[in-house]
Parts: sequence; structure tokens; C-alpha cells
Amino acid sequence: MTDLSVSAGPIVSARGLSKSFGRKQILHNLDFDIPAGRIYGLIGHNGAGKTTTLNAMLGLTSYEGTIRVLGEDPFARRAQLMENVAFISDVASLPRFLRVRELFALLTNIHPNFSQEKARQFLEGTDIRPEMKIRTLSKGMIAQLHLAVVMAIDAKLLVLDEPTLGLDITYRKRFYRRLLEDYMTEERTLVITTHQVDEIEFMLSDIMFIRDGSLILHMQMETVSEKFTQLVANEPETQAQARALNPVYEETRFGQTVFIFDGVARETLAPLGRLSTPTISDLFVALMQRPTANPERAR
Amino acid sequence: MDDFHTSQPIFVQIRQRLIEMILRRQVEEGDALPSVRQIAADLSVNPLTVTKAFEALVDIGVVEKRRGLGMFVTTGARAGLLAHEREKFLKEEWPRIAAQIKALDLDIKDLAAASTQQGEQTK
Repeated sequence: MTDLSVSAGPIVSARGLSKSFGRKQILHNLDFDIPAGRIYGLIGHNGAGKTTTLNAMLGLTSYEGTIRVLGEDPFARRAQLMENVAFISDVASLPRFLRVRELFALLTNIHPNFSQEKARQFLEGTDIRPEMKIRTLSKGMIAQLHLAVVMAIDAKLLVLDEPTLGLDITYRKRFYRRLLEDYMTEERTLVITTHQVDEIEFMLSDIMFIRDGSLILHMQMETVSEKFTQLVANEPETQAQARALNPVYEETRFGQTVFIFDGVARETLAPLGRLSTPTISDLFVALMQRPTANPERAR
Repeated sequence: MDDFHTSQPIFVQIRQRLIEMILRRQVEEGDALPSVRQIAADLSVNPLTVTKAFEALVDIGVVEKRRGLGMFVTTGARAGLLAHEREKFLKEEWPRIAAQIKALDLDIKDLAAASTQQGEQTK
């Protein structure tokens, strides 16, 4: 039914991906494959290695191990790859001295897959006009312009590193709406990092949690709901029974005790209280605190 | 975020919304349903999740895919859905509700009185 049979292999494939800055190792042996047509959420604390991983994918940093993007080594073949890869990063900036139309003309010259016409279409309905200088745009408008530019590039992989940082909720919603409405197809792949993970939770098809440079979870969202269960148990007896089943996490909030279980059957848990699938942010907090966690990170 | 409560998979919730649209005649038989893309954007959910919800409806013959045109409500979909939903309610939901009625020690008179009262308020 779905046209997911694009069996051209993974869009991104990493084996033993490692990175050190001086003596400090930032990434520890990451292995992962990102298939086409997915929306990936890359989640981790500040400094956990998310941006370094993305930079390795984009050929912006050297690394040990191997990484292939669309079958190519991004560091060696960055220029060629950029024809099929687009990205927005929280530090990327557009040349502020240009007018919007000048930016489009520049991009048409340097990027073979950039469509000026599409970019203009995406700006319809915004307050951005071709004659405006980028310098005069508000932060929200710059984000809109950035998105319009990136969506006008016919890319197979779009990498978004904190794309909505500093934007208000209305802009954030519009941003993701735009992406889903006008960009996402079965042939395209999206990798997103964001601290506002609850806002994109249901957009994601897969998640990767990075903790201290290691990949501690890489899973399809569907599998997450099969594997992990959240239980709210309010009676001391049921709480004791819950503890006996080795929850990965326990927290008392507002008089309710919440447990998260990994791989415990829902039928076993059902008599103990109310069950649900944990949100990504709850799961993230839970897994960040598993015993092997770096103690200074535990809260 | 949207009002997805996390106790049910989202595709199930989307399927349910589509079913309600058909049962409430917001979309008539033979008419097109909103596209996968539009629903995904409206709800900020993954397009694959929406596709899965549609596929569940295709499987029970309520919706058909017309190549290049999108998803359409089939003729006889409403009647089929009603039968399907009734059976599902009696099999899956009623036992739980019945158990609760029993636990609360309600009898048929209380329930009849409550539903008459409610009927007067709503319809």
C-alpha cells in the first residue's frame, strides 16, 4: 500500500562512528542506519554529541569509523552530497547584507537543486517580500525564510538542528506544519534535534537517544509503545508490586507514583493501576537516569 | 500539543476520527477524505501514522484508494461501519462498562432514568 519499497539502502549509515576533541571523546562507536522516508528525532542533553553526530553526517567534521550518506563519505565528498542534503542549524546564518531576492539569485547560482520559484511560493502568505534586506527581518521571519530556502532545495535528506530555537509557539507550529504539508514525502528523510520534543513527538517515526556520546536507544516509535509502559499506581501494595517488577524509573509527582517499565507485559501491569505509553520526554528522563548514567548528569 | 491521550496508539485515534467523520456524515459516501499530507500537517503527526489509519479502513472496506486521487468513502460504508463499530463496542468496550456498572451497583432503572434525562438535555 505505502510506497515504502524504495529499497535503495539506508540514507545514512554509521559504523563505529567516533570523535574526539583532544583527549575528550565526544562520540563513542555509534552504529546506526537511517532508512528513507522516516522522520528521526535525535535527542540528548546539551553536549551529549547530537550536533557532532549531525556535523559528521554533513561532512562538517572529521571522525573515526565510517559514515555514509546516500552511499558517500560526507567528509570526502561534501560538495557532491550537498546537492541532495539540506540543513538548518541553530548557528547557521543567512548573509544579512543581502536582499531576499539577491539571496535567491545567489542560491540559484551555487545550488543545482534550488528552485527560486518554489522558494517564492513558500514565502507567499508570510510578511517577507523579495526586496527586503535580511538584516531587517525579525527572528521569526528569518526562520521562515530559512525554511523556505531549505524546502526549495530538492534534497533527499534534510537535517534540522534545533530549527525552532528562540521562536514562539505560533511560529514553531507553522514551521512543522509547513514541513509536513509541503515537504515530507516517502523519498525524503528528516533528522531533527530539538529541546521541545513534546511538540514533535507524534511527527517522529523513530527516535535516537544520545547520552554522553553513546547511543542508548534507537527505536521506531511503534516499538517504543510496545516495549515501554508507564504505570500510575497509587496504593502502597500496588506500588510494592510494581517495584518488584524492576521499573526503569520511578517518580512521585503530585501525590501519584509513576513507574516506567521496559519490556514488562501490559497484562502483568494492568491490575496495578493506570497504564499508558510514556511520552518521549518522560522516557528520556527515565533512561538518562539508568544506573550507568554519569552521576553529574543525574537530577 | 494535540489532545492525543497516550493510552491508545495514535493511528487508532486517527482511524477513530475518520470513522466518526463518516458516521456523522461530515463526509458522504463517494466523497474524498482529507489527504494523508493534510491530516499529518493538521495534527502534526507522521504521515506513515496517517497512512496506517487509512489502511485499517481500507481493510474493512470502508475506504478505497483511487490512484492519484486519494482516499474515498465507499458506497455502503456507513452501514458497514455501524455494524463493525456496534460489534466492536459490544465485544471490547461493553464488558468493561458492564463491570463498572456492576461495581457501582447501578441497576437498569438507574441507567434508564439517566439516559432519559440525558436524552432530554441533548436531543
